[in-house]
Amino acid sequence: MQNETTKIAILVAISTLIFLLMPIFLLLYIRSYNRHKKNHVLEKQNMQQKFEAEMLQARVEVQDQTMQSIATELHDNVGQLLSLTTLTLNSVNLSDEVKAKKKIENSLQLVNKSIKELRELAKLLHGEQLVENGLGHAIDQEISWLSKSGAYELQVNNTLSESDYTSPDKDLIILRLLQEIINNMIKHAQATQIQIDAYLATNVLHLKVKENGVGFNPDEIKARKSGMGLNSIYKRIEMINGKLILNSAPGKGTSISIEIPYP
Amino acid sequence: MRLSPIVIAETVCLISAVALVWKDKYAFWKVVTCYIAIALLTEQYAAYLSSRHQHNLWLFNIFLFFEISTILFGLYHCIKAYINPKPIFAIGGGIICLSYVIFLFKQPFSESNNLTISVMSVVYALYCLYYYYLLLKDENFIEIKNHPEFWWVTGVLFYYFGSTMANIFDGLFNVKIIGYATLRYCIYVLLNYILYSLWIYSFICRMKQRKLQS
Repeated sequence: MQNETTKIAILVAISTLIFLLMPIFLLLYIRSYNRHKKNHVLEKQNMQQKFEAEMLQARVEVQDQTMQSIATELHDNVGQLLSLTTLTLNSVNLSDEVKAKKKIENSLQLVNKSIKELRELAKLLHGEQLVENGLGHAIDQEISWLSKSGAYELQVNNTLSESDYTSPDKDLIILRLLQEIINNMIKHAQATQIQIDAYLATNVLHLKVKENGVGFNPDEIKARKSGMGLNSIYKRIEMINGKLILNSAPGKGTSISIEIPYP
Repeated sequence: MRLSPIVIAETVCLISAVALVWKDKYAFWKVVTCYIAIALLTEQYAAYLSSRHQHNLWLFNIFLFFEISTILFGLYHCIKAYINPKPIFAIGGGIICLSYVIFLFKQPFSESNNLTISVMSVVYALYCLYYYYLLLKDENFIEIKNHPEFWWVTGVLFYYFGSTMANIFDGLFNVKIIGYATLRYCIYVLLNYILYSLWIYSFICRMKQRKLQS
């Protein structure tokens, strides 16, 4: 009997020791897991800071680009109109009432056109206000501005206006991307037909732009790494974890397909 | 009447609690301090009764009420930082109370309430493990080295998890190791030292935390 009791006592002593060792191992595991979690959180914070810094840089770049656009628009468009108005008004001869009336009317038309151009420019540049009403609406505005030029046959399929999702951080970047793509097309593509598709499918925003212009060799352009062109588009898409597929060849037009996790 | 090792541990812990966390704005720390004071008084009075060769198990059965409520409250306080723990504490508390009622019906009050102690140990160990699970699952990481609640819960886990086997086999072995001390007594002394050491450390962490926050 005494032997039995001793056996039980040894069993209890060993079991208690094991029961005390288990929390120790548990503590070591928690410590190690917590350390990994700490590293993960710090890494996430670093990435967030990096992302914010890149966003800031992108905003500065966009602002630079915007300033250039303002300068170009003012110089090439509004400036010309106002110069013409000055010329017309300078040439007014008050003694010849009929001609003077006609010239003043012409000048008035030119001034009105200048005002209209300035309004269009303001609308185009004020992207943040545009995306406040949703990305779909902003893209519609952009396309409407493009269609007013009358130089392109447009095929548009934009279903984003019907979507309730928004992502304030990404919206402005996406809009600027589209503006950049359209600007590049206007400047270089010499296209006559443009097809634009924008839709949302399973939390991915798809933006496709296709035109029948002169096309180019993408590798050659990418290698140049110049200014606000293709490289800037790639960089901005990378920032919002997006994907860009570019198909182009000299004489065969260009198609750009962008996929971005959204919202 | 001799000063037992458990009484020494409790006295040191009580002094530390009064000095470090008694003025804390959270009721939890005051409740813990009061609990240690009650535990110390119970231990002393039990020793006095024992020295006069009188039964003292009824005293520990009364003390069990304080133990159940204080540790449940403490664990509730720690777990509520992550979830709403009312439902699980209602279940756990209900099970412990039921075991106490069964004891009251089946055995005289002057006997040791091993059933409730065993059930309580299992329930508390599960709550402690659940606390660790919530802590690991939480997106925010905490500096466990200086986290008072973590060390308080760790003390509870060591004590109740470590005492499981001693509780289950209580009465089946009475091997004396050093003089009058049985193995069970030695295990409880060790567990008490672990518990109160970790609690003192948690009080130090809390005091540091309070100083940083002020």
